[in-house]
Amino acid sequence: MSTMTINGRTAPLPDDPEALLIDVIRDDLGLTGTKLVCGSGVCGACTVQLDGAPVVSCLLPARAAAGKAVTTVEGIGVEALHPVQKAFMADDALQCGFCTPGFIVEAAAFCDRWRAANGNTAPPRDEIAAALSGHLCRCGAYDNIFRAVAEACAGRFDGREVIAPRLEARDKVTGAARYTVDIHHDGQLEGVILRSAQAHAKITNLDLAPARAMAGVAAAVSLLADDGMVRFVGAPIAAVAATDRAGALRAIAAIRFSSEEKPAVIGLDAARKTDAPVVFEKKDRRRAGNVSEGGGAPAPWHGNLRGPSDGFSDKGKQARAWLDAARKARDPLLVEGTFRVATQQHACLEPHAAVARFDDDHLTVHVSTQAVFEIKEKIAKRYKLPHGKVRVIADHVGGGFGSKGALGIETIAAIELSRAAKAPVRVVLDRDEELSVTGYRPAAELKVSLLPTAQGALKTFSLTAHADTGVATNSTIAALARLIYPAEAKELVDFDVVSNLPPGAPFRGPGGPPMAFALEQAVDEAARRLALDPIVLRRRWDPDPIRQRLYEWASGLDVWRNRKGAAEQSGRYRRGVGIAAGYWLYFWQPGSTVELAVKGGRLVASTAVQDIGTGTRSVIANTVAKEFALDPQDVEVRIGDSELPEGPGSGGSRVTSSIVPPTLAAVAQLKTAIERAAPRPPQQGSNAPWRELIAASPDLVVSAERPKDAKPATPGLRSPLKEAGWKGTLFGWMLRLFNNMVVGAGVPSAVQVIEVEVDTWLGRVRVLGAHTGLAIGRLAAPELAKSQAAGAVIQGIGYALYEARETDPHSGRVLSGSMEDYRIPGIADMPPFEVHFDEGGFDHVPGGSVGIGEVATIPLSPAIANAIRDATGIRLTEIPFRPDRLISALKGRAAA
Amino acid sequence: MNGALAKKAAPEFRAAGTDLSERRRSGVSRGPLIDIMSADDTGIGWAANGTATIGAFTTIETIAADGRLAAAYPGLAASAAGLATPQIRHLATLGGNLAQRSRCWYFRNPHIDCLKKSGDGCPARAGNHLYGVAFDLGPCVAPHPSTMAAAVLVYDATIVTDRRDALSIADLLGDGRCGWSDHALQESEMIKSITMPVPRDGERAGYRRAISRSLAEWPLVELCARIVVEDGVFRFARLAAGGIAPVPLRLAAAEAVLTGAVASAATIAKAAQQAASGAKPLPQTGYKLDLLHGLVRDVLERLCG
Repeated sequence: MSTMTINGRTAPLPDDPEALLIDVIRDDLGLTGTKLVCGSGVCGACTVQLDGAPVVSCLLPARAAAGKAVTTVEGIGVEALHPVQKAFMADDALQCGFCTPGFIVEAAAFCDRWRAANGNTAPPRDEIAAALSGHLCRCGAYDNIFRAVAEACAGRFDGREVIAPRLEARDKVTGAARYTVDIHHDGQLEGVILRSAQAHAKITNLDLAPARAMAGVAAAVSLLADDGMVRFVGAPIAAVAATDRAGALRAIAAIRFSSEEKPAVIGLDAARKTDAPVVFEKKDRRRAGNVSEGGGAPAPWHGNLRGPSDGFSDKGKQARAWLDAARKARDPLLVEGTFRVATQQHACLEPHAAVARFDDDHLTVHVSTQAVFEIKEKIAKRYKLPHGKVRVIADHVGGGFGSKGALGIETIAAIELSRAAKAPVRVVLDRDEELSVTGYRPAAELKVSLLPTAQGALKTFSLTAHADTGVATNSTIAALARLIYPAEAKELVDFDVVSNLPPGAPFRGPGGPPMAFALEQAVDEAARRLALDPIVLRRRWDPDPIRQRLYEWASGLDVWRNRKGAAEQSGRYRRGVGIAAGYWLYFWQPGSTVELAVKGGRLVASTAVQDIGTGTRSVIANTVAKEFALDPQDVEVRIGDSELPEGPGSGGSRVTSSIVPPTLAAVAQLKTAIERAAPRPPQQGSNAPWRELIAASPDLVVSAERPKDAKPATPGLRSPLKEAGWKGTLFGWMLRLFNNMVVGAGVPSAVQVIEVEVDTWLGRVRVLGAHTGLAIGRLAAPELAKSQAAGAVIQGIGYALYEARETDPHSGRVLSGSMEDYRIPGIADMPPFEVHFDEGGFDHVPGGSVGIGEVATIPLSPAIANAIRDATGIRLTEIPFRPDRLISALKGRAAA
Repeated sequence: MNGALAKKAAPEFRAAGTDLSERRRSGVSRGPLIDIMSADDTGIGWAANGTATIGAFTTIETIAADGRLAAAYPGLAASAAGLATPQIRHLATLGGNLAQRSRCWYFRNPHIDCLKKSGDGCPARAGNHLYGVAFDLGPCVAPHPSTMAAAVLVYDATIVTDRRDALSIADLLGDGRCGWSDHALQESEMIKSITMPVPRDGERAGYRRAISRSLAEWPLVELCARIVVEDGVFRFARLAAGGIAPVPLRLAAAEAVLTGAVASAATIAKAAQQAASGAKPLPQTGYKLDLLHGLVRDVLERLCG
């Protein structure tokens, strides 16, 4: 038997030639800091040093490590943190943290190498990008990673202790943070899911016996719906638990069943044809999934078309009549276009995963989820278990972006297999599953018509959206255009186009980016027709007082003032600047409760919320610390456990707005309780009276529920749903009833200015700079808010330039199931980035803070489109703006 | 179980495993595994006449970083530096790069049958071939994935195997008409080394790939080029493109335009026009010819600049 040295210790290597180093590291040695993400050497999450050089352990045969020294993230900074680790902590160069170990291992090697050759000088940005080009971060922490690596190389963190703005940063840079995929119980089995290879079929005679009879198999369960139908490739059929993954994979291959294939239809265009096979018969429509964060209103169905959903239209017929008349009259001010957006996958780096375990009649499930409390309730309901006997835990979650809000099949499979096997079971989706069947932002076709008056006012517009929702419904794109740019009439129509593709899911501002992509380009085009600066036109058409301030900020940017326009440019490279606006609703969740305690002389804040990389722990710690004049590190924050007091789900940008107010209420209660219980008052003139009081305090516990907001002092400030009349009120009421979400007063807003360079030879768009103006109230955690904004920018760049799910048009199988074919942005794609926060406007919210996650990403794609138009004179209508599309569009113009 | 996996699988060599490991995990590769990595055939040797011999197990990183190699064969070094990621380049070998399997998303998917998995047809041809060939030379529409192969082609380098000497890239990879394999090696034949001929006096060379993102992406189209310019005239030109055909392609028509012509932007533009000569794009791949056109201009203008 051969051996390697790992983190200074000798460890045996398996004789099996198939063994890969990552599996030895994670499974045999339990060093779970090293993460498996892409399995194809693209993302670098599994990076370890082999004799000091970074390599991807997911592709490295274990035997290649024989006689060599392997260093994992756990072996870096053991005696004292490596400067790179400290820099990542101090500069907040991480969010969910799942990619962080790989970045740390690589960046530490780079930093050591760089300093040996160059001393304490900061490397240029492109050197850092090249060195880290084998790593991907989905949260988009690149901006701070650049800074952290440069500063570590420059010696800024030598021998210095650092304080991280992110509470759990140390655990994430050392590999100590444990995610669901890292959970290991004694006797734990591996579960895998058998999935449909057919896009539409009825499954009968499911025979699990051959699987159950195989060695090492402990359980096999059916996952078929009661109608036995599978309606997309990848639909779950059954699941098996075995002692190892290879055994479970062999076992699912042994499962037998009969299938009666039905005609299938794939995608937006095919499913709209009159002779298209119908995916859902009337009785089955309730089986469709939901792509929005809230419930939807009923809508008519015609074959695979669900809609029109036009409740948010305002004098729709009038709008249509005016637009028809303008079309007939060839009104030169009438802006019309058909835009297309592609399907965007969440591509969480931690795949959907669950580990279920029964202890007598108590069920504990570790889930990679955005909603520990709600998932606990759903599990209890589904399996008719008392709420006190189900516990859901998510200490750390490797990204969610909307895809991990529901009770997923991985969790259902883990629970049912665990119950059948009477042993703990872990189900971790592989990358192909993660990139094909866990949901997505639906592709859509967007038809927009917009008519200004001759005087330059906005008269009317219409937006019709057809969304490619797979076996799901409830896309809300066009409706969102009701709440921005008031007009005399608006026709806003949403359709779901159902086909035999996996179901879409909510994704960061569901419906927002596609709506903005169409509308913000139409507004930009209107400005051209009216010969007006696009900011001047928006200031005229958009009365929102907060966005008015953001427009003013944007119009003062040098990059905006110095833009040249297409007419003044020639040659290979063209530069352009674009602007777009966006908004999102301010949601909060009633019932959100924060418990605050003094335990052993220390403050402890607890709530059943989770941190998916957004910085929830820090938001709570900062809020508490500020009130007691302490440091955030003085506050212990307990989250990620459904046994804590009810907390909100991490969706709808509602965490900050749901937990800061009850935290403040609990602080007020606790202060009174501490003072009352104090054995003696603090010393006269003490500069830290609360620190002294808390240290001396007996154990105390208080808790507070999310209070209602105050009445806004600004006249006219109200829930934006009121703008949509009684239907808006009804929508708000339904959201509260069915989704436990309240739409508060005021509108979180974003104004995005983007500068691009277009390479007209190779069809590539490079974003040169991003200037993000955001109004989300007061910042509960400023550094982390900036990180969120940067992440939203790079995700929006991915949406605009690179990302598209690709499918086989005949079989309906997703082809872009690997990270090399589903192209998320890398570090070199992150432009220099500047954020401007306007902190006013939410004084009626206790604490004054609302969420940031969604609003920040909405205007990216139209801002980029408008910048390309500015650079080249060409308006591209379909994202992603890949080289193939750009080059065709450029050619079309040359030919014309 | 689909047909591809049910049929008997051929044995495969494993060097660093940077291509193979992913296919082992997914189950696309299921034949016997033969580890071949050894300390022999590693490194770069120089003969007295100035030719270089590069062992098959030499890593891509070594080829990219070797100063003497970069001075003599800058197109080869730049190709090596431009492929994959730093971690992959550290492990991956020259021989493995030349003999790697297709990156086609149908081929790589264990649930789909295709020619390269003993199936009956190419599902990409009638399906989604966004990244497919623009020179449709055979039944399979996947471009050859080896960046180094285009560099070997442009340098007229030869390949030595454990059985044969002095193979050209055409000998090694075929002419693109064979859909079921990515190379024309015999069963269990192994690449041992490549031999680089003596560079021409005053030659310049370069490499560039067209991609959508900034770094670390499989090329949509890539180009390796060598030129000799004397007295303002192209005396010699060799262009080899990857990403556009089942094998790396010499752009002979473009070379013909260049050779003997004045080294000017106008000549380069004319050559770029000829780059797509003989192309047969698929419905989704016409854009690759525009990118090829752009790459020829880009690489040649930089070499002449």
